[in-house]
Amino acid sequence: MSKAAIHYSFDHEHLLGINGLHPLDITHILDLANDYAEATRAGRRADPVLSGKTVVNLFFENSTRTMSSFEIAARRLGADVISMPVAQSSVKKGETLIDTAMTLNAMKPDVLVVRHSASGGAKLLSRKVDCAVVNAGDGTHEHPTQGLLDTLTIRRNKGQIEGLKVVICGDITHSRVARSTTLALHLLGAEVHLCAPRTLMPSGTETWGAASATSDFDAALAGADVVMMLRLQLERMDGAYLPSRREYFRYFGLTQERLSLAKDDALVMHPGPMNRGIEIESAIADGDRSVITEQVEMGVAVREAVLHLLAGGRP
Amino acid sequence: MSLSIYNARLLDPATGLDGPGAILIEDGMIQEVSPGATAPHAAAAEILDAGGLCLAPGLIDLRVKTGEPGDEQKETLATASRAAVAGGVTSLVVMPDTQPVIDDVALVRFISDRAKASAQARIYPAGALTTGLKGEAMAEIGLMADAGAVLFTNGDSPVTNASIQKRAMTYAASRGAIVMSRPDDGALKGSGVMNGGAFAARKGLAGIPPEAEWIGAARDLMLAEATGCTLILDQVSTPRTLDLVRQSRDRGASVFTTIAAHSLFFNEIDVGDYLTYCKVNPPFRDEDTRQAMISALAAGKIDAVVSAHDPQPPEEKRLPFGEASFGAAGLETTLAALLSLVHDGPLDLLDALAPLTCRPADMLGLPQGRLAAATPADVILFDPGKPWLCDRDELLSRSTNSPFDGRRLQGRVMKTLIGGKFVFTR
Repeated sequence: MSKAAIHYSFDHEHLLGINGLHPLDITHILDLANDYAEATRAGRRADPVLSGKTVVNLFFENSTRTMSSFEIAARRLGADVISMPVAQSSVKKGETLIDTAMTLNAMKPDVLVVRHSASGGAKLLSRKVDCAVVNAGDGTHEHPTQGLLDTLTIRRNKGQIEGLKVVICGDITHSRVARSTTLALHLLGAEVHLCAPRTLMPSGTETWGAASATSDFDAALAGADVVMMLRLQLERMDGAYLPSRREYFRYFGLTQERLSLAKDDALVMHPGPMNRGIEIESAIADGDRSVITEQVEMGVAVREAVLHLLAGGRP
Repeated sequence: MSLSIYNARLLDPATGLDGPGAILIEDGMIQEVSPGATAPHAAAAEILDAGGLCLAPGLIDLRVKTGEPGDEQKETLATASRAAVAGGVTSLVVMPDTQPVIDDVALVRFISDRAKASAQARIYPAGALTTGLKGEAMAEIGLMADAGAVLFTNGDSPVTNASIQKRAMTYAASRGAIVMSRPDDGALKGSGVMNGGAFAARKGLAGIPPEAEWIGAARDLMLAEATGCTLILDQVSTPRTLDLVRQSRDRGASVFTTIAAHSLFFNEIDVGDYLTYCKVNPPFRDEDTRQAMISALAAGKIDAVVSAHDPQPPEEKRLPFGEASFGAAGLETTLAALLSLVHDGPLDLLDALAPLTCRPADMLGLPQGRLAAATPADVILFDPGKPWLCDRDELLSRSTNSPFDGRRLQGRVMKTLIGGKFVFTR
């Protein structure tokens, strides 16, 4: 069946997580994002589909990378963008998330892009505002645009998602990226294996769609098409969760030798920012299998697609 | 002044009574219980036709928090008692977690005096086990007991120092005082906000593992055995905790257990999309655990059911789940929660009422909680089948943070009498 023959409409008011999306939704976002990525690479200006729209970036937690990515995406589509790093302001004055949301809502934005340190923060806010809400990371819950950009990066390099073996290694417990990416890849038919020290591996990962959860990185890597390393919160390194950086790197760091266990053409990914020498060897991060910078590039394209679908009409 | 209530279904778990009959109340006391009677007592000055409603002892709730003193915007003794009598609760024990903490004689008397002046229900203060609930120094257990404190607890802040807990229990035992403790190992609980497990992991919320309860319970049970102190384990939530209790009892310990009514009704999935009304401690467990606890209640392995009423104003609940306060309002929904288990089958009516009436009365040595001559006439008339929709806007407590909001329930209190006087009529 050709694309044109499929009647499809993206019927979501918000993007709060990958959970709740249909594989068709994901494919649709990825297709549109891919178009935007190609247009940017070709130097073409995107249609100003968000002209006259207002996008507010509301970041209760600092994240220059993600906020900039959303800002560039919105501007490319012609939106007016206001970025508010509220971590430094209203929260300290005692204003609650809902108070802030209701104040902003009164200013009639079209999209609120929200990052919050609390899981469910974006969901709570979406109940109180009239506009679309994009979750730009809520606590340790989800980071859907990251999951989508990871998926798009893989699809562009591998041609498809279905049937691929993807290994995600690192602090799974505290990673919203791991949840969103696992859900997205699973929905599109990938076999996702999670790897972490037992202290950083939550229970029930099969409900995210993970094929396995292991502490044996070497075994997990066998025949992998994609190896995605996660950022380790360095404050978790000593005492509570792990013995030391040295020991972590010994068992869970991605080295050249270890990477050889994966397929010869395996992609290396990382959502950044990286701890070189702890999660990943510098040579691999900068090597020819690494698509880490392409992930950043696809981040903008995915965010263009998401903002377009939520605020700019439905193509 | 005498009142005869007839044409009622008399229910008294203390004696196993379940049948039609009448009671006679005189001067605030039950004068006569007449199973099988079809007519009112002829000598009564007033007569009430119960119309076939269930007549049972008023509920005795061993765990209620209010905001008085210090946080009256959450709840006062007056507003809590207003909600209590609407829910059929005629006697309640208020926790010492107030500002200031109820940790000396004057404050125990303050609660008693304020209750007499403003509350409709019978209110019994619980004293703090340690001063300021800081877990550092023993509070004046003996003096507070003499002033009317019925038990001693560190409330929601379990004593972390085992040595201090042991000393307090040793001293309490020497005064014949009851200690109530929430079995909760703080380090294992950590920053947990809901039941630990796959659902919490998927929602990205830190979990409270059941081990936190087991370790906390094991410690206090061993200390109860060592000190001879009577211990109430407050709001147990897992069957393994009950196993620990049974083993301790087998070794001679005097231990009782309570469970929160909402823990029997909800499971962890009810947290859904971060519903903060479902944020309670102990957290709603998984469905298998909930079912196991219902079975344990039916088997008489749990002594009392409490409302765990913990009012929280909107500003404490209209927050992201991790940042919201623990606690649920429960005084008006406790009976309905238990009756749901009767309608669903696992409990019969007397089994559902026993942990709300005679058993908590026996734990504290109170005369009420039974339909017996020469006991206080604290009784309720309720319709076990009456359907109703729990709407938080219609709840009578000052804070209405109820996980039952929007739920269809079955079974409602129609009249409540305390000391023979009507304090609530629906």
